[in-house]
Amino acid sequence: MTRVIRRYAFSAAHVLARPDWDEARNRAVYGKCANPSGHGHNYRIELTLEGTSDAGEAVDAIVGERVLGELHDRFLNQDVRDFERVVPTAENIARYIWDTLRVAVAPARLACVRLVETSNNSVEYFGSEPTP
Amino acid sequence: MLITRRLEFSASYRDRKGATHGHNWELEVTLSGPVDAETGMVIDLKDLKEVMEREVEARFDHRSLNDDTPYFRERAPTPEGFAELIFGLLDAALPKGVLHRIRLSPTDDVTIEVQR
Repeated sequence: MTRVIRRYAFSAAHVLARPDWDEARNRAVYGKCANPSGHGHNYRIELTLEGTSDAGEAVDAIVGERVLGELHDRFLNQDVRDFERVVPTAENIARYIWDTLRVAVAPARLACVRLVETSNNSVEYFGSEPTP
Repeated sequence: MLITRRLEFSASYRDRKGATHGHNWELEVTLSGPVDAETGMVIDLKDLKEVMEREVEARFDHRSLNDDTPYFRERAPTPEGFAELIFGLLDAALPKGVLHRIRLSPTDDVTIEVQR
């Protein structure tokens, strides 16, 4: 099995808060991340791809248009339709990237989306596949 | 979904030959679980941070593993043994079964991985 890992970066602002909860409840669950003014991260994406040879440029173009083009320099809660109701936690952003790319990168197969939110925390999503 | 939090701490140890090693250890703790449908999170990272500070940082930061902790009285520390000890301490402190893997790096060039 040969896997390719490609790395990308974007910067975005977000608030961790559910619109259907009041501020006190959001503060209780999400802490300082619930500040309504928002805060930002320099995110890094690592895509693990299988079943591909020489697909790098095509994948880069798809990621550029559909992921980086949608997320970079945006306030995720306000500017990205998917996050109007879904809280843009690292977990949910990783799932968004997975759902956006899974079919689009064919014939390459997406094996993992790793999203690094800060130097101290990251998530890895494998879709419906069992966690290795 | 896997979620990983990182911690750095400093600790020294004497190996079985009597040589003393000091490192800035880098620890990556990875939990596995479903994303909670209500919060959008696997776990509150504040809770994981508190467990890591209590179970690892408070026990080992700026300590000698031989002299200042009770874990290496019978056998000399090794990075592998230290990693297995940390896995056990975290596994006992976290909700059952959520700890997936730890990676412990004594230097940039060496990483020990312990996976369930």
